[in-house]
Amino acid sequence: MNLRWAPLRQAITLRQAIKLRQAITMTLSDSERERYSRHLLLPEIGVAGQEQLKAARVLVIGAGGLGSPASLYLAAAGIGTLGIVDHDRVDLSNLQRQLLFDTASVGRGKALAARERLQALNPDIDVQAHEIRLDAGNALDLLGRYDCVVDGSDRLATRYLVNDACVLLRRPLVSAAIHRFEGQAMTYVPGGGPCYRCLFPHSAEGMVANCAEAGVLGVLPGLLGALQATETLKIILGIGAPLLGRLLTFDALAMQWREFRFTRRVDCAVCGEHPTITGLQPDRRRLSPAELRDWLAAPAARGGAPLLVDVREPAEYRLSRLAGAVNIPLGELPGRLAQMPADRALVFICRSGGRSRAACDIAARAGRRNPLDLEGGMLAWAQAVDQALEVAPYDPRPSDAATVGAGP
Amino acid sequence: MITVRVPSPLRSYTAGAARVSAHGASVAELLAALEERHAGMRFRIIDEQDRIRPHIRIFINQSEVTTLTQPLAPGDEVHLICALSGG
Repeated sequence: MNLRWAPLRQAITLRQAIKLRQAITMTLSDSERERYSRHLLLPEIGVAGQEQLKAARVLVIGAGGLGSPASLYLAAAGIGTLGIVDHDRVDLSNLQRQLLFDTASVGRGKALAARERLQALNPDIDVQAHEIRLDAGNALDLLGRYDCVVDGSDRLATRYLVNDACVLLRRPLVSAAIHRFEGQAMTYVPGGGPCYRCLFPHSAEGMVANCAEAGVLGVLPGLLGALQATETLKIILGIGAPLLGRLLTFDALAMQWREFRFTRRVDCAVCGEHPTITGLQPDRRRLSPAELRDWLAAPAARGGAPLLVDVREPAEYRLSRLAGAVNIPLGELPGRLAQMPADRALVFICRSGGRSRAACDIAARAGRRNPLDLEGGMLAWAQAVDQALEVAPYDPRPSDAATVGAGP
Repeated sequence: MITVRVPSPLRSYTAGAARVSAHGASVAELLAALEERHAGMRFRIIDEQDRIRPHIRIFINQSEVTTLTQPLAPGDEVHLICALSGG
């Protein structure tokens, strides 16, 4: 036991639970002793440690760039129960970095395809495929079935959901994220240090592009995902010094790792002294293209026509827009919300739903009741309602210096 | 002169540069100097109420910045850290 872990021992019930399970059922078979022989040689692991890994239950959020290497290494390392949650399907563009899948997997459900691959790698473990979209309604139940959570999701909203669920459930969380050539990672252990919200207090969806929007070096999640697997094994085994209160950043171009210390915020909304988040709130209601189409076709049925606010940049708006939509780029929205009629429903629109989500957050914080947005944005509208619509590409360099938007 | 490390989501403002230099005796002065050279960049870091945006953290060398009045010394390295969402 590393001395740095000693103050955490009281807070960590995870390892006690694993040890209890290990004591009841977890002995290694002959083939397992051979499979894990290089672990067994390490005094920090040995037979007892390997049995702890076998008794452990780890949930990987997202079978993507990070989830692929993380789950492959965790399966190979002998994590006894490994859950994979992902509602998406394998796309050809995933194969540049998501090593769980091959060309034959394209079109298959990711969770099930991942399960097959991981089970083939290690038939001695139990791999659970959760082919669901993680949300406020199912997160506590699902995460509560596991000892430790690895976050490899591709949405900021999911990152906050997972963080909040882990804090509420007192589950350790190993978090990582990537962007172009850059990555970052941190670990949360209940009672042992700050959480993700202590680092970044609330979501800035729409200001932070994901891999599909910004691109990513294929090998980058390999490094960060392997790091997540390493942290997870250390937490389960209780060895080494985890990334508690330490944000590790990686710049692949400069080939530099850096570490930044941060502390728990006493005013953190979920792990602070007086938390305001004591349960998970359902995602804000979003309009599907069909719902918005029907509303616009028969406004009286919903109490009148909404004000459509297109929060894209002017150049995007000029190319195509919904009839009647006004253009207020996201960066100008806070200063112009007061100009909008208070008695009219607001529906925010952008290219693919990131900036409009941020606009809803801004409007809600400013006191507007029930702001709505078009899920999937103009791209979804073009697909579902108006196939002839041409949607302008997003230019990451805002045309207006005062504009915030960096999302889709 | 202060060296500023720019995270990739903000590099559209620095013509792709990961590292830029600017003068400033405090974080606020440094951000003002950055804004002069890289128009629009400050607003991506600081909100309308002059607060550091919730998805941004600023570190001087390895110490966290909590207020914009925090002093800077020549040779300091300022790191702008942005929440990343990709997975």
